[in-house]
Amino acid sequence: MQLVGLIWPCNGLNRRLSENLNRRDGLNLTSIPTKNIRNFCIIAHIDHGKSTLADRMLESTGTVENRNQKTQLLDDMELERARGITIKARAVAMKYRLGETTYELNLIDTPGHVDFQYEVSRSMACCEGALLVVDAFQGVEAQTVANTYAAVDQELTILPVINKIDLQNARVDEIIAEIEQTLGIDGTEAMPVSAKTGVGIDDLLTTIIERVPAPVGDPDGPLQAMVFDSHYDAYRGVITYVRVINGRLRRGEKIRFLRGGSTHELMEVGQFRPQQIACDELSAGQVGYVICNIKSLSQVHVGDTIGTVKHSAEPLTGYKEPNRMVYCGLYPSDGQDFSELRDALNKLAINDPSFEFEPETSDALGFGFRCGFLGLLHMEIVQQRLEQESSVDLVQTAPNVTYEIALTTGKVLEIHKPQDVPNVGDIEEFRQPIVRVNFVLPVEYIGSTIKLCQDRRGIRQGTEYLSPTRAMLTYDLPLAEVIYDLHDKLKSATRGYGTMDYELLGYFPADLVKLDMLVNGKCVDALSVICHRADADRRGRAVAKKLKSEIERHMFEVAVQAAIGSRVIARETVPALRKNVTAKCYGGDISRKKKLWAKQREGKKRMKSIGKVDIPQKAFMAVLDTGQE
Amino acid sequence: MVPLWQRPPRAVYLHVPFCRRRCGYCNFTLVAGRSDLIQPYLDSIALEMAAYDDLPCQVDTIFLGGGTPSQVRDDHWRQLAAMLHRNFPLSADGEWSVEVNPEDVDRGYLEQLRTDGVTRVSLGVQSLSDDKLRTLEREHTGQQARDAIQLAIDIMDTVSADLIFAAPNETLSRWKDDLASVIDLGVDHISTYGLTFEQGAAFWSQRGKGLLKTVGEELELDMYLLAIESLIGAGFEHYEISNFARPGNRCRHNECYWTGATYHAIGPGAARHLKGRRETNHRSTTEYLRRLQEGRSPVAESDEADDRERALEVLVFGLRRIDGVDRDWFLANTGFNLDDLGGQALQEYRGEGWLQDDGRRIALSRRGLVISDSLWGRLLAS
Ligand SMILES: Nc1nc2c(ncn2[C@@H]2O[C@H](COP(=O)(O)OP(=O)(O)O)[C@@H](O)[C@H]2O)c(=O)[nH]1
Ligand code: SF4
Ligand SMILES: [Mg+2]
Repeated sequence: MQLVGLIWPCNGLNRRLSENLNRRDGLNLTSIPTKNIRNFCIIAHIDHGKSTLADRMLESTGTVENRNQKTQLLDDMELERARGITIKARAVAMKYRLGETTYELNLIDTPGHVDFQYEVSRSMACCEGALLVVDAFQGVEAQTVANTYAAVDQELTILPVINKIDLQNARVDEIIAEIEQTLGIDGTEAMPVSAKTGVGIDDLLTTIIERVPAPVGDPDGPLQAMVFDSHYDAYRGVITYVRVINGRLRRGEKIRFLRGGSTHELMEVGQFRPQQIACDELSAGQVGYVICNIKSLSQVHVGDTIGTVKHSAEPLTGYKEPNRMVYCGLYPSDGQDFSELRDALNKLAINDPSFEFEPETSDALGFGFRCGFLGLLHMEIVQQRLEQESSVDLVQTAPNVTYEIALTTGKVLEIHKPQDVPNVGDIEEFRQPIVRVNFVLPVEYIGSTIKLCQDRRGIRQGTEYLSPTRAMLTYDLPLAEVIYDLHDKLKSATRGYGTMDYELLGYFPADLVKLDMLVNGKCVDALSVICHRADADRRGRAVAKKLKSEIERHMFEVAVQAAIGSRVIARETVPALRKNVTAKCYGGDISRKKKLWAKQREGKKRMKSIGKVDIPQKAFMAVLDTGQE
Repeated sequence: MVPLWQRPPRAVYLHVPFCRRRCGYCNFTLVAGRSDLIQPYLDSIALEMAAYDDLPCQVDTIFLGGGTPSQVRDDHWRQLAAMLHRNFPLSADGEWSVEVNPEDVDRGYLEQLRTDGVTRVSLGVQSLSDDKLRTLEREHTGQQARDAIQLAIDIMDTVSADLIFAAPNETLSRWKDDLASVIDLGVDHISTYGLTFEQGAAFWSQRGKGLLKTVGEELELDMYLLAIESLIGAGFEHYEISNFARPGNRCRHNECYWTGATYHAIGPGAARHLKGRRETNHRSTTEYLRRLQEGRSPVAESDEADDRERALEVLVFGLRRIDGVDRDWFLANTGFNLDDLGGQALQEYRGEGWLQDDGRRIALSRRGLVISDSLWGRLLAS
């Protein structure tokens, strides 16, 4: 998954730098035998110290100098910093001497957000071990649990690490108990460290060498290398991150993406230390990058296998197409900007193949695009980048999840927007995505969290006590309910102490309907939503009310209705404007009034007209109002 | 044909920015309690006038607005009047209005104005009820206002009274009393304004904090309609959205704003219209004074429209006049055909019954009048 153009500073200057470094010691790296390689990742809940710990390891191994580095070398995308999360998977090779032996430690950083589950699984598939970092005060949280499950699935050796032991209120023993209780991991093995002060880091490095298994793989076997990430460099084209499973990747040789089918020459192979440093080859067990003059990220698929052109090995298992779970419409606020928006989207897609878009038209909004995202965070990231990188003013429709509809004819449709829902008579079964959500929270908030889930048609799967004061609650919930506002609602229901994570279980039948909104009798296509039949009344009323408050009074009455098919289930009226005349008007007012009217006119441009009714753009998000407390 | 906006000006507005203190609803350009600035102000407007190359310029109307022009008295007044006589000689039969606050009125002052050529005073009455005046944070009482009106009628050619309606807590019957009293007192002209809440006025934040109870849209509308009805009933002509006059007593100066004419303007915050350009002086009095003392231009904003926009402006402001806009007059004075210019919007407004059209002139209907601010934006965008 590729969201960042430049991850490491790999512009021209650094390239030259890396070429020099290469001449000095690039060849050393290739001489490391497989048994001296350790590949591992760090898994942690947000803010438990993953990035800080990575920094300390880079320092302790001398990979970077104890420096004027900006902290948290591994997150350099602005959005990540702002939200304190790691989106981008990446890898860095470190050398560490233990006794007489030099080891190569490859740290693979995994995205921490559920939107990128697949990318997490591919990154983990390149590792033999995982450091499970738990904050010495916060303890086990929802993402700790979810990530640990993913690591267990990949059969990684898990080393528990208790971080932040320098904190005064560290409660190491309790945390060890929590780890044992929830995760079933032997707590006696837990290593106490402080990523801040550096305490325990050398021991940790030693333990990694002792306990994480060396890769198994045959350097002389047929080539199989796993693609676990890629990014686009403006100068060098696509940089593909790989883990060699068997065989060797040699500069100058021809390779082939076994799933994607394309063939390329390896122009450069190398490792990140953390700058790109080229070398002659990467052999079984090693992690690094390849560059082969590829101009678009859409040609490189995370999870694909690189093989040789001639006698290719089998592709590795676990490959999947990107799974877009959330869709929304993006329209230029000014219809004139359509082609500008298309160009901007194209540009983004080059850097992020997991994002997809196709043109669509809406009666209400005109020409725009239906865009698919891995999840809500992914949607926000893409939008933010669009706003930063183009000057187009956007109108966004409320996001919806993907649905499946089995038709009476036996055909199955994938639905990406409510307007595509066929007539009720043609529907055999309406299915929605269901996710399993784990909540970790202090026990006093169990009641309020259960209520949140029940209100959203959740099915309880279990409750586990992590300790006398903390519990993990598991629910199966419709994804649609989860993405809209569950995270915010959880935070307020638990005073910020509750955490959650989820995974997709699949599509299951539900009693769903398409709810339409009508403005003065005209259906506004961009305002339709799919919801549970039992929620339709409440949703309809809430949306109608919200729209009423968003639509300014006109010189005539405006009726806002919610309807299922032809049945109206809610109605609100925006009364006609009865008076709008400011009496005062003297000489100086003329200029002032002109300005005021010009502003009104601008405002009007930013509205969408349904019949004669002007609807402000933000009203198109009104359908998110669920009517729930 | 020379369009309106290219003709030489026949009017001048002078802004006098002094008030004793600022009323709660007021966000005008003024300084409160700074009579020490009157002399520097007089020096500055002299500098401003000296900077125009077309002065002296004979005018048909002069308007002194504020602020409170009646704060400028005695020797200060004599300096001011002399400056105006010199730079803006009034044509025979010209109109010279001064805004006067009731608490400033005495026989000597009004006689002085009259002697110096003032023909018309516009009294900031606002109400004749003590309660309402207190609510509005005015300086005078109801009785002072009555006395001022009577004295002014006695001395001046034309007397106008400003009235505010929709003050916090005001009722329809209280408003009715105000109207009746002012009519009875025999003024020639009435301007009546619905109280607005403007950013920069104390009432704005008080309303924001929920400290002021506004009267509500329905009642405000009823008050406005009551004013129209009572004043027309009493023999006034309703000639502009907020202005009423006994026959022959319309304010000619204000009419020049609404008919798109050009005019000079002097003083802080004053807005002029000359050679197709609209300019506004800096609204801060002290900044205005500083600029002139330092020999810099007082102009803070300037806006030059193209002819089409100018013609649209004439149309919009012309429609504020109850008589509306005459097609032939419009063509002769702007060079534009009114129907081509207003196109779709005009047609739609006619269809909705917001405009009346007798084939020669178009004018707001009563229904259009009360929602007229919603009409202008579209029309200007034509
Ligand atoms: N006191 C203390 N703070 C730490 C330690 N490790 C990380 N932090 C702080 O915890 C916060 C989150 O760290 P970060 O590495 O960004 O966490 P990540 O979200 O897991 O990558 C930052 O403010 C760090 O400075 C530690 O060992 N001790
Ligand atoms: S309302 Fe009139 S008197 Fe009161 S502060 Fe404003 S300008 Fe001065
Ligand atoms: Mg981080």
